[in-house]
Amino acid sequence: MNPPENGGFPGGPARTVRRVYFWTAAGTIVWLAAIVSAPWLAAGRATARVGTLLYAAFAPVCHQIPERCFQFHGRPLAVCGRCLGIYAGFALGLALYPLVRGFSTLRLPTARVFILTVLPMAVDGAAGVLGLWDSPIGVRFATGAVWGVLLPFYFVTGAADLLGTRRARREARALENRAGTT
Amino acid sequence: MNQARPEYLRPALIVGAAAGILSGLPVLSLVNCLCCLWILGGAAFAVKLLSQATPIVLKPSDGALEGALTGVIAAVSHTIVSLAFPPNIESARRVLEWLSSMGIEQPANIDGLLEGTSRFMSPTWMIIGLFFTAVMFALIGVLGGIIGVSLFGKKPASAVPAAPPEAPPQPPSSGPGDAS
Repeated sequence: MNPPENGGFPGGPARTVRRVYFWTAAGTIVWLAAIVSAPWLAAGRATARVGTLLYAAFAPVCHQIPERCFQFHGRPLAVCGRCLGIYAGFALGLALYPLVRGFSTLRLPTARVFILTVLPMAVDGAAGVLGLWDSPIGVRFATGAVWGVLLPFYFVTGAADLLGTRRARREARALENRAGTT
Repeated sequence: MNQARPEYLRPALIVGAAAGILSGLPVLSLVNCLCCLWILGGAAFAVKLLSQATPIVLKPSDGALEGALTGVIAAVSHTIVSLAFPPNIESARRVLEWLSSMGIEQPANIDGLLEGTSRFMSPTWMIIGLFFTAVMFALIGVLGGIIGVSLFGKKPASAVPAAPPEAPPQPPSSGPGDAS
């Protein structure tokens, strides 16, 4: 849909995209570890407060209804099955990113791909809210994962473009200042 | 390289405040169960407003900035609304008892959940909560903003050759052929 945005990258965006990619991968690992470790930490006597804090951290973005969460150590994970699917899908999408997109171009997914990936989750979620059916947690996880796979293709592209644009603006300002002083 | 920058703040303020209020209201907040839809969709909508308000072709970085700003503003308004609608633990307990009497099963650890909720209502927890909410909403807003650029952003003009500029007006000639 959008053309390659290489404006802020004189030598191509590969280095910036790679850096954003690795930081995103590290963040995703920490994010998933926090979700999975919350019940384990909450179960421990010494670490219960940390576990509670992790549950609280994810509360604004997930309903955390225990029946809709996968269990670990006899307690629900910090997010529901669908959210876990989205985050797991995000991790899978990150793993696929270098194979599908590579590091040398910045391009957002097309609207058609967006609709195709969001449709299963939207239909399942809307049907659940309207009371048409109540899908099992595995289906929630799977529909979330399909959507999640697409998200790194937006996130890495946008974050790399942001870094490139900021750097270009900084360099332009420095050039202007230098020209002003001479 | 001194590009014009779009006016990020206005759409982010309008949409972020609305998304935060909707996320904090008792029943409407359930929409956030669908992939944080108020925040994700709100950030995308803020980009749509931004795109309409500026002649500039938006880049993914513009979407990311607009989305992050929308998310942070939504977090602030969400926290303010949450203060206005604090969960009433006693009422919740009564509703749960009523549901139990109707034969509707309750989660096994519901008492623990209610106790946990009441613990998070101190000012310290509110500030910590605002910080976490701002980080979470900003990240989700970044995603929504970039998606918004791909869905609603103006396409760059195609490579149609531009019309030649108009010829500058001729200076008045005072030659013999000049009929006035």
